[in-house]
Amino acid sequence: MSQLNIHNTQHFKLDNIVFLKNADFRRTVSEDLQAGKRMIALCPVDRNDRSKIIAVFADSSTSMITVTGCDFANGPYELESFADKFPQTNFFECELAESHGFSLLNHPWQRPVRKQTVINGSTPYKFFGITGDEIHEVAVGPIHAGVIEPGHFRFQCHGELVYNLEINLGYQHRGIEELIIKANAIRRIILNESIAGDTVMGHMSAHCNAIESLCNITPGLRAQIIRSIGEEIERIAMHIGCLSGIANDVGFALAANSYGRIRTIMINSLGLICGSRFGRGLFNYGGVKFDIDEITMKTLLANMRSVKSDIAQINALMFSSVGALSRFENTGNVSFSDASSTGLVGIAARSCDIKTDTRVNFPYGAYRYSHLSMMTMLTGDVFARAKIRSLEIDESFRYVIEQLENLPEGSISVDHGDLAAGKAVISMTEGFRGEIVHIAITDKSGNLMQYKIKDPSFNNWYGLSLALRNTAISDFPLCNKSFDLSYAGHDL
Amino acid sequence: MLDVLKIRILQGDPIVHDVRKNGTSPLYRGFPLISDAKCLAGCKECANICPVNAISLDPVSIDLGKCVFCPECEKACPQKKISFSRNYIMSSTTRNGLIVKNGMSSITPEKASEKIRKYFGRSLKLRQVSAGGCSGCELELNACGNINFDMGRFGIEFAASPRHSDGIVITGPITKNMAEATQICYDAVPDPKIIILTGACAISGGIFQNSTEIDRSFLDKHKIDLYVPGCPPNPLTFVTAVLNWLDRK
Repeated sequence: MSQLNIHNTQHFKLDNIVFLKNADFRRTVSEDLQAGKRMIALCPVDRNDRSKIIAVFADSSTSMITVTGCDFANGPYELESFADKFPQTNFFECELAESHGFSLLNHPWQRPVRKQTVINGSTPYKFFGITGDEIHEVAVGPIHAGVIEPGHFRFQCHGELVYNLEINLGYQHRGIEELIIKANAIRRIILNESIAGDTVMGHMSAHCNAIESLCNITPGLRAQIIRSIGEEIERIAMHIGCLSGIANDVGFALAANSYGRIRTIMINSLGLICGSRFGRGLFNYGGVKFDIDEITMKTLLANMRSVKSDIAQINALMFSSVGALSRFENTGNVSFSDASSTGLVGIAARSCDIKTDTRVNFPYGAYRYSHLSMMTMLTGDVFARAKIRSLEIDESFRYVIEQLENLPEGSISVDHGDLAAGKAVISMTEGFRGEIVHIAITDKSGNLMQYKIKDPSFNNWYGLSLALRNTAISDFPLCNKSFDLSYAGHDL
Repeated sequence: MLDVLKIRILQGDPIVHDVRKNGTSPLYRGFPLISDAKCLAGCKECANICPVNAISLDPVSIDLGKCVFCPECEKACPQKKISFSRNYIMSSTTRNGLIVKNGMSSITPEKASEKIRKYFGRSLKLRQVSAGGCSGCELELNACGNINFDMGRFGIEFAASPRHSDGIVITGPITKNMAEATQICYDAVPDPKIIILTGACAISGGIFQNSTEIDRSFLDKHKIDLYVPGCPPNPLTFVTAVLNWLDRK
């Protein structure tokens, strides 16, 4: 048995990973990719020692996670790229090369992930270019027109049409993985809340599940359900925020402002539970820090019911407006085959009919007991990415109201001990953008030696590039908003 | 048409009419109060537990420029000396002004100079620079302009270009990768111009203060006009900070 098969958040001994020779590793990983598994991580087991790396794959059809190790102890630190045949590994390989000095052999498109200078030294990265009559290049960013995070976009256009868009990020890189390894428990929590300020619940859920697994504890049912309520309220709020942005980008002010108003009610509901409008401070190792009492429960339920009824009317207005629909439909298309070969996740994938939702495929926490339906759309355009959000909002409301009405009694927190030594865990959750992966590995004395984070934006930024092909550059803001990706989550 | 009117009526009256006197959720953690309670001999619980080293002892003080309002210190103190109030009005024109000591119940900034108030008192356009922010501060700054908080009614707005702005609002600890862009953006703003630091990360580095990936030299070179603490600051904290500073009603 050269591979390790585990479940989401199931801890395992580091010794159980078989570290293969380079050629065997290559063959095994190729087989996984051939079988249609999706890469979710490619990193060393020790952040400061690159001699042993793991490739981690998720298989939605079996709900299993596969870990394959490779031993580079005798060098050379060269990795034969899989990206030519399997584009989904492309960016993971770039990341491994940039962070740990691996050279990639036969890599089709090595580019900076977060640090411009590592691969190319002082020569700036050269973007793809095209030449010819009426060809022009547009460079935007890092600072954009609005209150938004920084990133650089390079468009190659022929008239209005975009031939190619390259996205160059890393401006938000603040070394969060390194800080997490060095931090104590309380700092770790604050750091994880700050991976992406709009996905506090999603990342905290992944983080707490990972740490709790390594401590061998399980929070009580009440705590797990409160967590999932937090996650779903976050999902509803951020989806509404995105719909507001989409409406704004097509000049539909009434819808934009109406969505904006109800988003406030949703994030205030999170504030009601834990004091922070983004849920900071709610999660703790072993459970949650705040319980939902009678009065809070009443207000929460009232908020949920009123927003649920309001949004139905606002959605009806927006999705029946001919003006809005004509901008949404057939704009920024991504095909099923492109989306699956490049490994898109979450909303971006489901809008192309890829059936992937961590809550369904790799259930964790309260989602193991109470299920949500997976929403998918066929067309892969702006319309699909907008409509799917409205469907998920409805489903999340159903879930939240049901859970609030049936919240079981019980303790909201259990004590946690120390991290087990020499163990590892892979924790996946579904943030509002898509699949979040946290990998925690401890050394022989029980300290973290690797903490790897994958935000869904890491997979999905390339989806935006694909969506822009043969799309008018004037539709970029609309396409960008329909993906609604995180810079901070990508840059870490 | 009727549907449109229906949605308009649904909006109701969502605006916060008095930005200085709005209720907050019962659990909201705002300005921390430090009571007269005596510390136990040798007790360092609050300072030890603080994830961002915001607390100094003898006497106990909290640096709001670092504080992430987590409330670990409140829980850790055996004497209940520290408690977070629901007061969201806090900002300062000086870094030292953010240090909360025993007996203080709020901090308000000094008034801006007469020149600044004359230039920007009725219309202030700001360019926001996210320099490593997690997007928490960005979300709240965006919310300042929505129909609930409607900062635009005071003539305060975020502009798309630094060329159209009167100053910059920095969020995030200023990463190495954003250091140059932050400087270029500031240079592009016409004089006279102001700098506002928003959130613990921008003011002190916050939870990222020990990161090797940040470069805060920009802040050494320029005078900061206003500090708005929080993690992230509530929209009303930001709105009232600017209004108080400009001496506006």
